[in-house]
Amino acid sequence: MNAEFLIPLLAAAVQSGTPILFATLGEMFTEKAGVLNLGVEGMMMVGALAAFTTSLATGSPWTGLVAGGLAAAALGCLHGLACLTFQGNQVVSGLALTILGTGLANYLGTPYIGQTAPGFMALPVPGLSQIPVLGRVLFSQDALVYLSFALPGLFWLFWQRTRWGMACTAAGEHPAAAEAAGLNPVALRWAAIAAGGFLVGLGGAYLSLAYTHLWTNGMSSGRGWIAVALVIFAFWRPGRAVFGAYLFGGVMAFQLRLQASGTNLPSSLLLMLPYALTVGVLLFSAMRGQGGSSDAPEALGINVEPRE
Amino acid sequence: MPFWKAVKREEPLRWGSFFIFLAAMGLSLAISCALLAVQGRPPLAALSILWNGAFGQWYAVEDTLLKAVPIFLCSLGVAVAFRMQVWNIGAEGQFALGAVGATWAVLAMPGLPAWLMLPLMGLCAAAAGGLWAVIPAWLRTRLKVNEIITTLMLNYIGILFLDWLVYGPWKDPSSFGFPMTREFPPAAVVGAIPGSRLHWGLAVCLAAAVAMHLFLNRTRMGYEIKACGQGRNPARYARMPYNFLVLFVMGLCGALAGLAGFLETSAVTGRLQPSIMVGYGYTAIVVAWLARLKPGAIAWASVLLAALRVGVENLQLDLQVPAAFGGIMEGLILLTVLAGQFFRNYRFKTRRTDAAPAKEAES
Amino acid sequence: MKRLALLSLALVLSVLLAACGDSGTQEKQEAAPAAETTAPAAKAPEASTDKDMKVGFVYVSPIGDAGYSFAHDKGRLVVEQMPGVTTSYVESVPEGADSERVILNMARKGYKIIFTTSYGYMDPTLKVAQQFPDTVFMHCSGYKSSENMGNYFGRIYQARYLTGIVAGAMTKSNIIGYAAAFPIPEVIRGINAFTLGARSVNPKAEVRVVWTKTWYDPATEKEAAKSLLDVGADVITQHQDSPGPMEAAQEAGKWGIGYNSDMSGFAPDVVLTSAMWNWGPLYSRVVDEVRAGTWKSAALWEGMDADVVGIAPLSDKVPAEIKAKVEAVKADIVAGKLHVFSGPINDQSGAVKIPEGQAMSDQDMLGMTWFVQGVVGTTE
Repeated sequence: MNAEFLIPLLAAAVQSGTPILFATLGEMFTEKAGVLNLGVEGMMMVGALAAFTTSLATGSPWTGLVAGGLAAAALGCLHGLACLTFQGNQVVSGLALTILGTGLANYLGTPYIGQTAPGFMALPVPGLSQIPVLGRVLFSQDALVYLSFALPGLFWLFWQRTRWGMACTAAGEHPAAAEAAGLNPVALRWAAIAAGGFLVGLGGAYLSLAYTHLWTNGMSSGRGWIAVALVIFAFWRPGRAVFGAYLFGGVMAFQLRLQASGTNLPSSLLLMLPYALTVGVLLFSAMRGQGGSSDAPEALGINVEPRE
Repeated sequence: MPFWKAVKREEPLRWGSFFIFLAAMGLSLAISCALLAVQGRPPLAALSILWNGAFGQWYAVEDTLLKAVPIFLCSLGVAVAFRMQVWNIGAEGQFALGAVGATWAVLAMPGLPAWLMLPLMGLCAAAAGGLWAVIPAWLRTRLKVNEIITTLMLNYIGILFLDWLVYGPWKDPSSFGFPMTREFPPAAVVGAIPGSRLHWGLAVCLAAAVAMHLFLNRTRMGYEIKACGQGRNPARYARMPYNFLVLFVMGLCGALAGLAGFLETSAVTGRLQPSIMVGYGYTAIVVAWLARLKPGAIAWASVLLAALRVGVENLQLDLQVPAAFGGIMEGLILLTVLAGQFFRNYRFKTRRTDAAPAKEAES
Repeated sequence: MKRLALLSLALVLSVLLAACGDSGTQEKQEAAPAAETTAPAAKAPEASTDKDMKVGFVYVSPIGDAGYSFAHDKGRLVVEQMPGVTTSYVESVPEGADSERVILNMARKGYKIIFTTSYGYMDPTLKVAQQFPDTVFMHCSGYKSSENMGNYFGRIYQARYLTGIVAGAMTKSNIIGYAAAFPIPEVIRGINAFTLGARSVNPKAEVRVVWTKTWYDPATEKEAAKSLLDVGADVITQHQDSPGPMEAAQEAGKWGIGYNSDMSGFAPDVVLTSAMWNWGPLYSRVVDEVRAGTWKSAALWEGMDADVVGIAPLSDKVPAEIKAKVEAVKADIVAGKLHVFSGPINDQSGAVKIPEGQAMSDQDMLGMTWFVQGVVGTTE
């Protein structure tokens, strides 16, 4: 394990972890307001497809990016409809969303397999990218990675320091009390679903516009589920989400690099690493007495009953 | 703000449920047709092809029933777990482990006669699947680790484990290096019911359904499971062994999914290979919810979703509809049924009939 | 609840009645049970010429992926152009029970020729072939056959050998990266042929293998290629269907060699060539033979001489003398003078697997599960 191996690995970890980071933060945003959205996987797929097709049609990756976010947000609103308006069970609704989103994306995306769209290329930051180690790992990435650097801090500010952020948190912890205080938890939850969904869509868009410039069936390959797990791992705090996302991205990149350096371990077992790691980190968090039910928003997954 | 609001009914709707279900199905079909039309395919012809593919001829009905077997078993288990609000998303992985368990029995003791071999395989499959489910259950009860994530991750790990076995230690030397085990000896194959292509797995389904119904409705543990669905504190208050029940239902769920894996491997493919994994575990969740977690309705819902899968293949052949269309329909059905269940407990009331003169004055 | 039960019962009964009474709409191609037609002589299925012949294809993956199924589908489109023939296909069919049902369905609907394009379809195809003796079944990449079922494959390893020569000649670091899909014989064979070709012009070249366990997952495959680039590979090739690895090569400014079809469109500056399938001629030949009644079940494993496999035109970046060398070797393969897997060949541990002067038999090649010397990686 020397620098030759480590530095490209870390750079790959950052790149590979970025779509997961977007998705994790998006889901975290939704969950903080009390809505469990298991449809992340389907939303990432839809976001990836929308971004890809829009970029292909308009020639502008940024437009594609926004389109991806909006498409995922729209899909998320179906979840909102099912849960917030129709009082549906949030777990099942999210699963339905995953099945639907994945099916929609694969169905509508079939004609686009095999095409390339204009995407985001690497954008080394002048000056900073020359710093040894960190320069290559953090500052020789593409624009979306840099965008993702800003998000955790913004989130923290939002939740801790703004009225709206605290209102969202209240909707997730004690919606009844929030309502008594004059807030509208259902409306806040709608906003959280839409905004969180937008971010998840950005994560999906990253896959088809930056990570690769291609589209295929099953683009997200389980990253949406990893994101849901990472929200728990991060104790619903944005800072730890970064750590989790890059750790996960790193493991995915690591097992490939291990193969490239000529290991004799069977690849099936190596492929298990990211998933085993997720279970491991959840276990670890739980054993330390944190995570699980104690840090989750109190009203997570519980619908607000309509008032008489 | 909206002119209407939701009002809880005094008594949940009963007879309307079926019609709500039909309405939800109708809505899903309508949206699916619209999607087909968008891509230039004739929607009504598509529906008829879909139907024909699943029920049009006797052999189609056979195909549908064959496909319903694994879905039914997985779903039966998932429903029990969901009753306790234990969200087992891991039926897929438990299915895989069940197939592995059954195969282990065959490979370890190939010479056994059928009457010993088959029950042994079933036992091993149920044990393997059950174990795979008990692990996340234990993590939940002891360490409060969220079972949604752990069961899901174990899906991936379980499937990769199956892959490793068939690419590595269990690979058939005469398969020219392709990932599959040896063909099972005839004693290890669940046979066909004479006169049809259906296999005896159907009998297993029937037995399981009856057993489950009796268990849930006639035994004390069944009662406790249903009661525990309200939550952990009410259960504790009534002095029910909540943690034990969680472990038990997950084990049961895993065992049923494992049985499904055994049947698919033994009756349908006759050897273990990665292609037995086609997503029955996830469909099982859709089915369980559609059937509102009741064993009788699960039978119908499994047939329905099996019919969907079989019919969609027909659509592919005749209209070149991409394979993903089935997923869209499944997702839509679940969403609409979920939303429709709202009308069991609530109805919409317009603001006008509400005593809110101030708001009326404004608008 | 009782009403519901009654309603459902009525529904089921009506469905069953409809199903049983509906056999009139079945295509009349429903053959009599196999017991009737056990004529000992090898009787080829009858010719049919009077109506549009239906030819069906079963694919294991989506056709749009510019990959394996895409190549088969291009062949299907050639057949579609033939007069008096209509084609159809089903894609993304999982191997196992689902495939048996799909093939059965096609046979019942009167498809005269059914091509099943993945190894895992072998047993299902055989099962259905036994029930429909008048239908011709052609299974790709397998080894079982019967009177009305033949198998076929292409010697893509010949194309791999040629692309290996290009890679071996163009590499400066002597490390070539191979993003591979699944450790099955055809992939392993391709890697071996590629390595043999590379080392025939550059004995110091080594080929590093990374398994992605995917057929079309651009993100993972691109990452695999990047991991190979990071260990110093300067030529990347692949066995998957997505152009992900080529993208990675393009971004890193290193050479790439594509697969399944000409991938130069995806990475115009760096793709040197691609190993390609060309199923059209084989498919049309089978259709013609069936129509004329001359088709006989056989194990077809055709190569460059029948134009079933080939390589994409070499890019301009390839120097003229390498182009000439490739042409010369290609001519030798086509003429049958060069057998790619002819000794001496050692395996990874250095043991001699094929002695000098001997050539590997088709049987051994089909079941290849070991790597030749020069490959760095595992076969699991």
